[in-house]
Amino acid sequence: MSADEFDPAIERLFARTPSMPDAALFTAQVEQRMQKGSRVRVVVLGLAGLAGAVVAVREVVSVNLNLGEGGGAATTGMGQGFEAVSFNAQTAIQSGLDQAGLGNLAVGSMSGMQMFWIVAGALIAVAAAGVVRLSQEV
Amino acid sequence: MAQALVDRHDVELAALAAAGGRQEFGELVRRHGSAVRALLRRMGAQPSLADDVAQDAFIQAFERCSEFRGEGTFAAWVKRIAARLYLKRVAKEARYVAEIETEETVAAPDPGGLMDLDEALKTLSEPERLCVSLCHGAGMAHPEIATALNLPLGTVKSHVKRGLDKLRARLQPAQTLGRTQHVG
Repeated sequence: MSADEFDPAIERLFARTPSMPDAALFTAQVEQRMQKGSRVRVVVLGLAGLAGAVVAVREVVSVNLNLGEGGGAATTGMGQGFEAVSFNAQTAIQSGLDQAGLGNLAVGSMSGMQMFWIVAGALIAVAAAGVVRLSQEV
Repeated sequence: MAQALVDRHDVELAALAAAGGRQEFGELVRRHGSAVRALLRRMGAQPSLADDVAQDAFIQAFERCSEFRGEGTFAAWVKRIAARLYLKRVAKEARYVAEIETEETVAAPDPGGLMDLDEALKTLSEPERLCVSLCHGAGMAHPEIATALNLPLGTVKSHVKRGLDKLRARLQPAQTLGRTQHVG
């Protein structure tokens, strides 16, 4: 057999897969490692989301306390900004409700803090759902 | 009704695996796991190390599945990943670089002529075995092997040639016999 004939022959020999009695075990081990890696991702992402939420809530509570104490000029400025944002959110939600024919809910009667907590809760819920979804996809 | 995994083509399964399909990738592992493990053993890895590296290769392939474009076969793609991972492992030990000009293995003639490839590969020196397996098992080109092993291209070509010469001497009688049996 010449070299030209032998090279394809040796490649065919390499391409033949020997049967391995523990092939099923090997597949199971790989699948287990894939599953483990996925669980680690879910836990890491979940913890990151939780830590972020805790920090956000702590910051919000801290802002609330400062507002309550009627602190310095910087705090007052933050408070004014916060109230402006709350007012804008109220206005936007109210106009949305009006368009939907639900204007009688009188969102404007809620206090700024109530509205803020509702919005913050909704945002945290959306963020948590996003983390769960992301962890499923990764 | 969803098409059964066993009926799907590798490329299709790889695309589904790239989208996060673990079951689909599991089917690919089931199909090609033994081939990847066999290649690593043919390259000279001990069975336990070969299995470890093969597992790492499949995990890496799963994470990089979106990079597989279907230009070659999926098995060839994973084999190359596995071969590179194995080379990284042995490079750490600096085994092959140090042993490149080692003793010449004398291939004793096989009296029965029934030796298979795995047995024949054992008669090669380690560098020859590695170079032949990378070239004909993992489908790597000579320059690619030279780069991966940090060897001169001429040395790699020489190892491949000598390895093939030895394999030819060992396997030719068996192949002739196999052909005769097949025809007869």
